[in-house]
Amino acid sequence: MSESIVVAEQVSYRVNDAVLIDDVSMHAQPGELVALAGPNGAGKSTMLRLLAGDLKPESGTVRVAGLDTHRAPPAEVARARSVMRQGRSADVPFTAAAVVSMGRYPHRSDPDNSKAADLRAIGAAMERVDVVHLAARVFATLSGGEQTRVVIARILAQDAPVVLLDEPTTALDVAHQERVLAAIRRMANEGRSVVAVLHDLNAAAHYADRIVLLRAGAVCAEGAPIEVLERGLLSELYGQPMIVTDHPTRNCPLVLTSDE
Amino acid sequence: MATNVALSVDPHAARRRWFWLVGSAVAIAAAFVSLAVGAVDISVADVLGVFAAKLGLRESSEQAAAVVWGIRMPRLLVGFAVGATLGLVGAVMQGLLRNDLADPQLLGIGPGAAIGAAIGAAAAGVRGAIAGGVFAGVVTALVLRRLVRRVSIDPTRIILSGVALGAALSAWVGFVVFGAERAAVPPLEFWLLGSLAGATWQTFGSAVAFIVLTTGALLTATRSLDLFALGEPEARHLGVDTTMVTTLVLVGCGAAVGATVGAVGIVSFVGLLTPFLMRPIVGYSHRYLLPASMLAGGTFVVVADLAARSIFEPVEIPVGLITAAVGGPVFLWLLVRKRHV
Repeated sequence: MSESIVVAEQVSYRVNDAVLIDDVSMHAQPGELVALAGPNGAGKSTMLRLLAGDLKPESGTVRVAGLDTHRAPPAEVARARSVMRQGRSADVPFTAAAVVSMGRYPHRSDPDNSKAADLRAIGAAMERVDVVHLAARVFATLSGGEQTRVVIARILAQDAPVVLLDEPTTALDVAHQERVLAAIRRMANEGRSVVAVLHDLNAAAHYADRIVLLRAGAVCAEGAPIEVLERGLLSELYGQPMIVTDHPTRNCPLVLTSDE
Repeated sequence: MATNVALSVDPHAARRRWFWLVGSAVAIAAAFVSLAVGAVDISVADVLGVFAAKLGLRESSEQAAAVVWGIRMPRLLVGFAVGATLGLVGAVMQGLLRNDLADPQLLGIGPGAAIGAAIGAAAAGVRGAIAGGVFAGVVTALVLRRLVRRVSIDPTRIILSGVALGAALSAWVGFVVFGAERAAVPPLEFWLLGSLAGATWQTFGSAVAFIVLTTGALLTATRSLDLFALGEPEARHLGVDTTMVTTLVLVGCGAAVGATVGAVGIVSFVGLLTPFLMRPIVGYSHRYLLPASMLAGGTFVVVADLAARSIFEPVEIPVGLITAAVGGPVFLWLLVRKRHV
C-alpha cells in the first residue's frame, strides 16, 4: 500500500462561534478517488478549501505532497494540487485554449519545464476531455457542460499529483455528469489522488474508492461505498427515509429515497 | 498536430496589427497638430524645422523654437505621459478587480493623491506636488486595498465605496486649497478638473521618473492579471500569490496616478474608457491590452488638450472638462449595454 499524499490530521476550523470543521482527520493515496459526502452544511466544501489551502486551520495540520498548502509558496503548492471550486466565474473572456493553457502557469518557475512540454500537456488535456474543437471559442459563450470540461482540461494541464474538486457535476445533465465523472475516475486510475465533494451518493457509490461522510463538521463514517452507504445511517444522517439496494448493472450500491 | 493549430488561433491578431499601425499614425498626427496649433500658429513645416535645428541640421526661427520646444513640447509630453499612465492603470485595475468600471479616479485614488499634491505644492512647488501626489496616491491605494479585502465579494460595493471615498477626498482637497496661501497652491479647478496649461519641462522632468518606474513595474504583471480573469481563487489555485500581487499592483497604481495628479490634477474618464474601447480591438490578454491602452490613453489626452485650448480660444478650459464631456456619455452607454458590471 502506497503512502498517503493528502493528509489532514485533527483539523478544526470555525468562524466566530460556529464550528464548521471539528477535529477531522482524513487522507488520500495516489490512485485513489475519495468522495466527501454528507448533507448540506456538513462542511464538505469547507474541508476541501482547507485541503486546498484557501483557509487556515484553527488547529491540526494539512499536508498535500508534504506541503502546508496554506503557507507554502503558491507556485509550489500549485504544482502539488489543482483545484476546481464550486460556483466559478462563467464570464471569462478568454478562449478555451487560453483557459487551458493557464493551467501551465505554475510550471513557469520550474526549471525543468519547456515550451514543448507546455504545448504537449495542453494538447493532451484538451483531447482527453474532448474540447479540442472548442479551442478558439470564448469560454463565456460555452454551455455549462462545455465549461466544466474546459476547466477539467485546465486541471489536467496543470498536471498536479493531487486533484481537489468541489461538486464538479453541478448543473450538468446526466450524460454530462457521467462523462465528467469518468474523466475524473481516469485521473485517479492514472495515479493521481482525487478528493471530490460529491452531492450525489450514487455517483460516489460507483466512482469513488472511499467515501468520507461528514455530519456537522465531523466525520461520521468512512470506508468503501459498500460499507458506508448503509440504510439506517443514511436515513438518520439526512433525516429522510432511504433505501440501499444493489445497482442492477453496476457492481455497487444504489441509494434511493423512500417514504415512511 | 491539430491541437497546436487550434491553440494558435487568436481572433484579435489581425486587428492588433492594424491597431498599432493606425494608432501610431493617429498619435503622431495628433502630436504634430498640437505642436503647430495655438495662440501662435506655426506650420508643420516650421515644427519640423525646429526638430531639425535641435538635431543641428539647420537654423530655425527663434520664436518658433521657443514656442514649439519651450512651451508646446513639454506640454505634449506631459499630456501623453499622463494619458498613457491613466489608460494603463485603468486596464490594470479593471483586470485586477474583475470590474470594467474600476477606474483610479472613480475609486478615489486621484482625489486622495490631490490632497497630498496640494499640500506638496504649498510646501515645495511642482516637485513637492508630484512627491506629495505619489505619497498620498500610495496611501489611498492602501486604503482601497483594505476596502477590496473587506468587500471583495461584491464588485458593485467596491465601486460604491470608491465613489464615496472619492467624493469625500475631493472635498478635502478644497479644504487644503482654501486653507493654504493663495499664490502658493493651484486653484481647486486645477486639481479636480486637471489642466496641462502649466505643464513645463520641470513638470515633465519631475514626473517622468515615477511614471516610467511604475508603469514598467505594472507591465510585468500581465500574466498574473490574465489569471485574475478566471477569478481570484482560481488565480491563487494556479500559483499566483494573489494577496501580494493585489497589494503591489494597487500600490503601483497609486504611485503612478499620484505622479499624474501632482503634474496636471485629476483627469477623469481616461482610465475608465480607454481599456473598454481597446478590448474589442486588441483582445483581453493584458500583454496586448496594457500597451494598447497606453497608446490610446496618451493620444486621448493629447487630443483632449488640443480641444481644451482651441474651443474658446484664447481662453483655455481644463482638459478634464473635455475628457468628462466625452467620457460621461460613453460611460452611460457602457452601463446600459453591459448586463453585468
